[in-house]
Amino acid sequence: MVAVFLILTFLLFSLYQLMPGNRAYTDARAEVNSLKNALTPEQREEKFQELYLKYQRQYGTDTDNVLVLYLRWWGIMPFYNGKCSGIFQGNFGFSFDYNLPVVDMIWPFMRNSMLVGAISEFFVLIITIPLGIICATKKGSRFDRGTQLVSLIGFSTPSFIIYIIFIVFFCSILHWFPVSGMKTPGTNYTGWAAVWDTISHVALPVICLVFSSLAGVTRIARASMIDALSLDCVRTARAKGLPEKVVVYSHAWRNALIPMVAIIVGGFFGIVGGAMIMETFFGFKGLGLLFLNATKNSDYDLVMFLQVIYTFLGLFSNLVIDLCYGLVDPRVRISK
Amino acid sequence: MSKKESGFRNWLRRTFMGAKYEEKKRQEEKNGQPDDSELIVSPARQVFQRFLERRFAVFSVCLVIFMFLVVIIVPKTKFMEKYYDSFTEVTQKDLPPNMSYMSVPAELKNEIKSIDSYGSFSVGLSKSGKVYVWGSTKLGATSLNVADIPQAVKDSKVAFAAAGIDHIVCITEDGRLIGWGSNQFGQYEATEAVLNNPNLTPVPEEIRDGGIDVANVKKLVAGYQATAILMKDGTVYLWGNKQTYTNMDKLASRKNLEDIDFTLNYIVAVDAKRNSIVTGVKNLYSTVRSTIGGAGKKMTQFLNGRKIEAITATSSSVCALLDDGSIALAGDFQNDVIQTPELPEGEFFTEIQGGTYHYTGVTNQGHVYSFGGDHYYQAEAPKKLTTAHDIYAGAFQSYATDENGKLLETWGLKGYLFGTDDQGADIFKRVIAGGGVTMTVGAVAVIIEILIGVTLGLLSGYFGGWVDMLVMRVAEVFSAIPLLPFMLILSSLLSQKNLSQDERLLMIMVILGVLGWPGFCRITRAQILVARESEYVTAAKAMGVKEGRIAFKHILPNVISVILVNITLSFAASMQTETSLSFLGFGVVYPKPSWGNMLTRASNATAAINFWWQWVFTSAILILTTVCINTIGDTLRDVMDPKSSNDK
Repeated sequence: MVAVFLILTFLLFSLYQLMPGNRAYTDARAEVNSLKNALTPEQREEKFQELYLKYQRQYGTDTDNVLVLYLRWWGIMPFYNGKCSGIFQGNFGFSFDYNLPVVDMIWPFMRNSMLVGAISEFFVLIITIPLGIICATKKGSRFDRGTQLVSLIGFSTPSFIIYIIFIVFFCSILHWFPVSGMKTPGTNYTGWAAVWDTISHVALPVICLVFSSLAGVTRIARASMIDALSLDCVRTARAKGLPEKVVVYSHAWRNALIPMVAIIVGGFFGIVGGAMIMETFFGFKGLGLLFLNATKNSDYDLVMFLQVIYTFLGLFSNLVIDLCYGLVDPRVRISK
Repeated sequence: MSKKESGFRNWLRRTFMGAKYEEKKRQEEKNGQPDDSELIVSPARQVFQRFLERRFAVFSVCLVIFMFLVVIIVPKTKFMEKYYDSFTEVTQKDLPPNMSYMSVPAELKNEIKSIDSYGSFSVGLSKSGKVYVWGSTKLGATSLNVADIPQAVKDSKVAFAAAGIDHIVCITEDGRLIGWGSNQFGQYEATEAVLNNPNLTPVPEEIRDGGIDVANVKKLVAGYQATAILMKDGTVYLWGNKQTYTNMDKLASRKNLEDIDFTLNYIVAVDAKRNSIVTGVKNLYSTVRSTIGGAGKKMTQFLNGRKIEAITATSSSVCALLDDGSIALAGDFQNDVIQTPELPEGEFFTEIQGGTYHYTGVTNQGHVYSFGGDHYYQAEAPKKLTTAHDIYAGAFQSYATDENGKLLETWGLKGYLFGTDDQGADIFKRVIAGGGVTMTVGAVAVIIEILIGVTLGLLSGYFGGWVDMLVMRVAEVFSAIPLLPFMLILSSLLSQKNLSQDERLLMIMVILGVLGWPGFCRITRAQILVARESEYVTAAKAMGVKEGRIAFKHILPNVISVILVNITLSFAASMQTETSLSFLGFGVVYPKPSWGNMLTRASNATAAINFWWQWVFTSAILILTTVCINTIGDTLRDVMDPKSSNDK
């Protein structure tokens, strides 16, 4: 998995090297332009070349070898001045838009994303799991069919259409929630007012996130519960004469949980990293919007760092899923 | 099964399974015991049979096939022949769905005095002095509705009526000027704001104070954001937006005008000398020709002693009707035009009217001819008419009436089924064209996924060992790439490369396909692992069949059912991914339509509610399509799984 992470970051890094924009060039050009009257054109050109080289060496871009650049980025290869300054040295890059090292500025965005991710994941689970169990135990009933139809439609609807519908309905027609942002502009609430203000701003994004992942999770919960209910152990439990409740919630449910783990864990990490559309919609200051803006503004260190976070989250969630399998499935634990 | 079946199911059964099946069933019923030989059916047939039992799934298949056919065939038919991606039309922006652009009200049909239009609505005046408005009367995001005719107009007899882009003006028989609709540029009322704005000419004071001498009025014309009244004695009153019509002041002082009209940016007129088009701007419309695209001549040379009888203007050209019944054209025309007609001997034009891009004329023999811009088929005049006496043209419609004012024929733009977008393009047509793009992207992406995923899955599942190891690691790398961020970087890279629209489209398909294959690979591999241990493969191996042959001929058909299910599901998923990307602006970009980028505007809450038609129809169709495709996938999975029998 470490290898996968390294390969991926290298791939992304080389891709990111292809991006236009040359910081050393712009910096050198700016510095030369700032003293434009003092020099003749030839001197200026000379000065520019000199500065360009200096900045390139400073930023570590004085080579075209992507591998070298990549290793420098990690902090394994030294810069021109013989020092290493990379991730291992705690230098993740510098955001030029925010004029801060990326590590320092990313936390509030990350916190927002995680907050919303955790809240919506919580709601998704407390809605979908009972729904899936009810549908599976009453398979073929009118309720089940209705839920299936609704979840099919929800599953087939791209999330942004759900957002549009919700915004139109809740903001434009009912005026229940503010359309975008994290707090009412021009206000300076404190205490409970501030909390309430934040809640009213976060509510709609959370509702939207919950609804857009409701359908998919319900379908999976139902399917895995149906599979679990047809297991031999369930039949045995019923034959033993156990109450239906015990059969469903103890025997079947534990088995159904195994395929659900991937969805539950993956869903949480997915929301932390991948609610980009939601964040653009609501102007919600999370990682997705940060990434989008950074790409638009060519803030490449930030882009690269976020890419690494995304990749890391993706791989980390796989790891967590594997660990959780061991947690819920005794067979996996034994075989390890 | 022995229950009485409905006629349709009977028919289906007979069509797909033949009469023999039915005969057997009947036999069974007679004998009272099932015919064992019938119970053994091939798996494929069983799957097919069970699929047909799901009515909703069959309906979905039909619907998806129908949509496929529509998006493939319709763009090649006459309906879409004039469609192109980057079409824009200023006057048709943001119009709601409406098909009544040519529906002249029944009360008006027999006593038409005049019809005028400029944008999306038309205003008609009956001989009894009543005003009617039809077409798309709600104007943009404003709450204005030009169909709300003011009570003052309803109560009085109206002598003249004219329509601008977003306003209507009337002159009543008692000489009052009444307007409604937008007055942002002082089109009909000299409010405080209008009087204080140096860029606007307010309604002249004598009209405001003393009213108009109706008997002396020759013509009332409305332009884009301006209005003119021409009197019989040659004086003219002009007011409205001076920035649009820069020559307004120059013409307002003229006292000897014979005729007047508006192009998009200029006011054009004919003075008493009747030998030139007066604009107040040097050399504007001074070169004329007799046909569209013909050789231009200087006006005096062209006229050669003839006089200009009347003029009429489209948004970029002027047409003068000469006293011998021939026409002279000045200005520019679009590409998509119908040439000026060649009139037979002895036939000449008696009247010409201009719309936004086209002209319609009526001849002394009662025939009507249209020429000029034809994007909305507005220049395709009916050929059979012989009793036409008057014609009215406005915007993209033409109307012909006989001498009593009875409506004979209308032709031109009927309206928009799904409304228009912010570029003025027909959303219905864009939905069809966009469906082609979205479905193609989805389909090609899935094909690439299958090609890579299934091949690698087969290899890794069949050979195992280090091949398996390698392929699975590669798959892991690919499935760990976060799609949206990756696409974002790629598309900002692509935008530097100045790719053409089609190359960009291809890139999106390839990226979606290349990032999506690990799913197929895993499923194929898992199936192979099961199949590899099965008896028939062992048997084939024992018989000495070559490995490649075993993989592709013996194992592949057995895993194909699972792959088939996944093809349908990933097709829907690819379509969703493409629409999401395009919606964010990183997939298919304007002008090429896709069901995703057509919805971009709806991310603004105000636009989403004001211009609901711009996203409701498109997203409804998108959802319907993906629902159908997912239903097909689900049903396929159900019917192919021997475990989930018909115990529903």
